[in-house]
Amino acid sequence: MAEKRKKSRSENLFLRYLILGAWALFCVAPVLWFLSIGLRPRTEIITPTPVYFPSFSLDAWHMIWEDWPMAKYLRNSVGAIFGSVIIDLVLAIPAAYSLSRFEYRGREDIGFYILSTRMMAPAIVAVPIFFLFRTLGLLDTIWALMLIYAAINLSFVTWIIRSYMLDIPKELEDAAKTDGAGELRILWEIIVPAILPGIITASVIAMIFAINEFLFTLLIASTPDAYTMSVALANFTGGSDGIIYNAIALVAFIAFLPVFVVVVAIQKHLSRGLTMGAVKG
Amino acid sequence: MSNPSLSGAGAAQAAPARPAQRSFKRRSKRLKAALPYLLVAPAVIYLLMITLYPGIYAIIQSFHEVRFGPWRAVGFANYQKLFVDYQFWGALWNTFLIGSISLVLQCVIALALAFHAYRDPWVKGWRILFLVPMLFMPSAVAFIYKLIFLDARIFSDILIRIGLIDGNLAIQSSTWMSRALLILADVWQWTPFLFIIFVAALQGQDEEVEEAARLDGASWSAIFFNISLPMMKPVIAVALILRAIDITTMFTNVFIVTKGGPAFGTETISHFIYRTGFKFFNFGYASAASVIMLIITIVIAQLVVKRAFVSARS
Repeated sequence: MAEKRKKSRSENLFLRYLILGAWALFCVAPVLWFLSIGLRPRTEIITPTPVYFPSFSLDAWHMIWEDWPMAKYLRNSVGAIFGSVIIDLVLAIPAAYSLSRFEYRGREDIGFYILSTRMMAPAIVAVPIFFLFRTLGLLDTIWALMLIYAAINLSFVTWIIRSYMLDIPKELEDAAKTDGAGELRILWEIIVPAILPGIITASVIAMIFAINEFLFTLLIASTPDAYTMSVALANFTGGSDGIIYNAIALVAFIAFLPVFVVVVAIQKHLSRGLTMGAVKG
Repeated sequence: MSNPSLSGAGAAQAAPARPAQRSFKRRSKRLKAALPYLLVAPAVIYLLMITLYPGIYAIIQSFHEVRFGPWRAVGFANYQKLFVDYQFWGALWNTFLIGSISLVLQCVIALALAFHAYRDPWVKGWRILFLVPMLFMPSAVAFIYKLIFLDARIFSDILIRIGLIDGNLAIQSSTWMSRALLILADVWQWTPFLFIIFVAALQGQDEEVEEAARLDGASWSAIFFNISLPMMKPVIAVALILRAIDITTMFTNVFIVTKGGPAFGTETISHFIYRTGFKFFNFGYASAASVIMLIITIVIAQLVVKRAFVSARS
């Protein structure tokens, strides 16, 4: 009996590692292969039969920094993303405080309205937003990108922060209130420090979505003045040169690395952040 | 809460309230009632600007012909045209088809992976490995798949070497293979999203219940299907809804990998609106399609999403 159980357990382990290993390979193989694209000369990318053992070349690396305004794209990305996260936090922290700490009429509806904006397909609002920014003279600027990224991310930044605020025991606040502290001081001096992990998680996830954003950026940015990394990629195509895959691959890795490091650092909070606080990891 | 002296320590010390002080107190009371609204207002106003304003704008524009010159009112003409536009219906169908197949695959794979990973001592390592595709920009992922399957034909080459096929696959001229390619790219990139959430839910379940069932001789798979899965239902619902929202707005892969082809066989609704508005500059028509999408979105939001999020919280 005991032996049988032991045997089925070791078989399970074999199956487990087979499945997990296969998926890991499926995840990582295209990525490693794409890295090899970034580090090979252009002549070995699109060939009659694929080249599996390419020669090493830093052509693409020189190309993206010397022939393209990559530093500018990077600056645009970083500027638009950080700006949008700051706008989000300034708007979301008070909103989340209101939704989590007060009882008032319409609270549930307001909360759901904020959540529901997450469901708005970019394509639905793309045409009006395009005309709005044209009227405001903001087309092709990173200010427009900042505003639109902030809008896209505001719903779940608010909901993540709200979820963390709900976890703070009411007593903590009541103690401060009997000391005579006002609501805003309580928010700033007690709640915000206590939910710092939540604020960081929300910011990281907002950052990822902002880096990924493609459709709005494509519409708003029409010159390198406002191109971000994501749309710059689509810019390495066309013309007589065809698609310049090795440059695309390197840019993809340049954008990937910082995100990867930050996400590994906040691993523990990720599931909670991704579900807007509905799942507590 | 019973102490009304929220305006600060100073007010609490002034024991005999003079008239000026009293009016100040009344005002502060009104302020106190308004405070939650004032706190939430900036966020709501900001969101209204990017949802309500564009919504109204799109509705008005959808009743006009808008190209380059001034708007020309055309009544319901855009909608009439839309209802018999096979490209529009095709785009709706493709969005639904590609989205639902992709979503089901992601859900099943993520559940299977999560079931095998959550008790594993190296769960953190698996999580990091599986996360990798999700952290690439979607435009980069689109190029990875375009290169592997279409431009450099690695996939065909490997199949030829194994001996499964004779010549290169003509993926671009096959509707179903093109759809499969979009599905594959989406599954590759976004299964980890569900995996991470499911693992967290499985790890968060009550270990005592699990242990008790285990001592009764239940197998891990019986525990999973009879205890874990029912417990995870609300979580699965929320996670799937969030994925479904993103899948229905699928644009980047279509734009870069298939361009909606062959013969509009992979065109999604987002790509349809983009193409009508920004390639053919038929903005009124694009807005009419947007309005229909908007109505569908609002209906689904009210019916499904509200309930899922409320039940997940309780």
